[in-house]
Amino acid sequence: MKRLKICFGMLVLLLALSSVGAQDVTTVSMWFGESEYAQCITEVVNGFNDVNPALQIEIIPQADTWNTTRTAVAGGGGPDVVRSPGPSFVYEMAQQGLILPLDSFADEMGWRDTFVGWALDLGLVDGQLYSLADELETLVMYYNKTLFEANGWTPPDTMDELIALAEEMEAAGIVPFSHGNADWRPTNEWFVGEFMTQIAGPHNVYKALTGQIPWTDESMVEAMETLDMMQQRGWFGGGLDLYFTNTFDTNLSMLGNGEAAMNIEGTWRFNGIPDYFGEAGGNDNDWDWAPVPSKTGDDLFTIGMGNTSSINANTPHPQETATFLTWFFSAETQGAMLSNCGKGPAPIHLPEDAMVGLDSRVSRAYAALSEASADDRYGYTTWTFWPPKSDVYIYEEVERVWTGEITVMDYLEGLNELFAEELAAGDIPPIPSR
Amino acid sequence: MATIPQKKIATGFLDRLTDETWRYKFTRNVLIPWLFILPLLSIHVFVVAIPAVQGIYMSLTDWSGVGRNVEFIGLANYQELLFEDETFGKSLTNNFIWMAFFLTVPFILALFCATLLSQIKRGGMAYRSMLFIPYVLASVVTTAIWRNLLSPRKGIGAAMANLTGIEGFDIAYLGRSETALLSIAFIDNWHFWGFLMILFLAAMQAIPPVLYDAAKIDGANRWQEFRHVTLPGIRPIFLFMFMMVAIWSFLAFDYIWLLTQGGPGGSSEVIATQLYKNAFLRFEGGYGAAQGVVISIFAGFIIMIFVTLRRRGWDI
Repeated sequence: MKRLKICFGMLVLLLALSSVGAQDVTTVSMWFGESEYAQCITEVVNGFNDVNPALQIEIIPQADTWNTTRTAVAGGGGPDVVRSPGPSFVYEMAQQGLILPLDSFADEMGWRDTFVGWALDLGLVDGQLYSLADELETLVMYYNKTLFEANGWTPPDTMDELIALAEEMEAAGIVPFSHGNADWRPTNEWFVGEFMTQIAGPHNVYKALTGQIPWTDESMVEAMETLDMMQQRGWFGGGLDLYFTNTFDTNLSMLGNGEAAMNIEGTWRFNGIPDYFGEAGGNDNDWDWAPVPSKTGDDLFTIGMGNTSSINANTPHPQETATFLTWFFSAETQGAMLSNCGKGPAPIHLPEDAMVGLDSRVSRAYAALSEASADDRYGYTTWTFWPPKSDVYIYEEVERVWTGEITVMDYLEGLNELFAEELAAGDIPPIPSR
Repeated sequence: MATIPQKKIATGFLDRLTDETWRYKFTRNVLIPWLFILPLLSIHVFVVAIPAVQGIYMSLTDWSGVGRNVEFIGLANYQELLFEDETFGKSLTNNFIWMAFFLTVPFILALFCATLLSQIKRGGMAYRSMLFIPYVLASVVTTAIWRNLLSPRKGIGAAMANLTGIEGFDIAYLGRSETALLSIAFIDNWHFWGFLMILFLAAMQAIPPVLYDAAKIDGANRWQEFRHVTLPGIRPIFLFMFMMVAIWSFLAFDYIWLLTQGGPGGSSEVIATQLYKNAFLRFEGGYGAAQGVVISIFAGFIIMIFVTLRRRGWDI
């Protein structure tokens, strides 16, 4: 009987201890897209879990992360770390009180020193910080290096040189740009934003975004007419109807096998482009990248954010979530995710040694982007800096310009009208001042 | 002088409750059926009726689609939709084109093949299965298959152009404004018509063979048999499917979204794709809800036509 009592007592003690242990562990959840690097990021985060037994991070892959997140958060649930596709989405959530202001955490945890100067401004809503920018991206001009060398071509510096080179390629039976939007219709906006920055200039785009000049400014007209000219001549994918049916796979295959020579796309493509060249692509070609040529010849880079991170207003663990975000946005973690997973880094001060083991072409791109943002040579991607209605208008209605339904001026007047409404309503995402 | 019959009449509910026969009938005919249906009814109220009422209310508001900041604006969304939104008319026209396509092409195909298959005595199941398989494929799979088949670079057209050396086969059907919508309808129909055919075939097999024998004795040919025996025999299912397809035409979304997202240049835009963009991309949840209500009104109108016809004696 005595033995039984001892056993029972030990069992009670064991249960009590285990429940105390369970209570001590805080779990912070983060939903991540089912992308090619989601598993890799989980492994990186597991490194955090291993050394922090009291704070465990649960990465939950979601097929349609943003739509799942917005529904869950609006219903009072969702993950502790709320990720969104960009500042304009954060704006809506902050307005509704669905995410927490982060200013006190930024001061307490040194985020103002971690991020580059303009980056925290992207997360401001009515003067308060609500999100941390992640996945810094820009557009570059990928090109088939082997094809260029065989034809004695060099990457052009100016827009005029680019047009002359494209004419030469066209004459040689080579499609100048392997572009198409069949997989992702907003692909259109890459080119609209890029041509506005490269031809109208980032300062004019800044003025238009802040309401100082209209979108019908002649510099914008010139940018859009140049883009339209390229589409009409079939330089994007081999013809307008082909542009509308080319998938990403087709685009990259064309670039890899030399059917096309160049491709303007985001730095996210560093992750997949090697699959289309050399042995992996079934050819003997190699690739490289160059800045997208500008009108002036300056190396300009449009800045975009692939994601933002915020803290759910309903989380029971705001402090722990902020602690995790501090680790997540540290140079060491961002460097590991860039080197190991190919995920674009957050706009933080990233030392060169954090990019050890990275393809030199990739590290060169991020170094150039960092330099450009410091030298006032940065422009704006539409999905990061335009308000939602104007953004959708940009990529939907530009097709009507290309198909000849409306003129460039009609398009820009429509944009101007819609943008003015959103500007008056205060719906413009934060634009870092320059 | 007339006298009132002295028969006891149970007038009140409490009086009735004392009547054992009435109580038994009430429990058996009213209470138990309602108890059986109660779980389903509760679910329906919570997941259909209440959200539907909420949707109608949201259509009268300025709501971003996120959070609880909702401003009542009356009929402003409907005014904008019907009188100011230039793209709405185009989308509605595309919905009607879609409906015209689906009320003709799959019905003709299904009727024709069901009639042929109903004559087959051996191996009919194999044919039926083959024709039905596309229906069980997910829309994502179907669109991926057809996007490749219709690709002007690596699809059937490109292969034929390469084989024959004749140019013109490699047309980008999904990339041209004039062909995009009908190409998507063709792809959706490839998946859908087998289902319709199976329904018609089942209905045809339920027609008593004696009717065909009688028609033959009367000297009817194949066409007359089809017209006077088969068609009347399958009329209830035919008209029911006609109504359903007309309603579904206003809900068309997945194939269009997966293949063109309404492009090129809005040429394949329908109300449902517009609704999605407004509600989830432009943050105009209230306006999107108004579009949803308009779709429901069209569906209700179609149902009303059929209910009216039924009341007038049509066998639907």
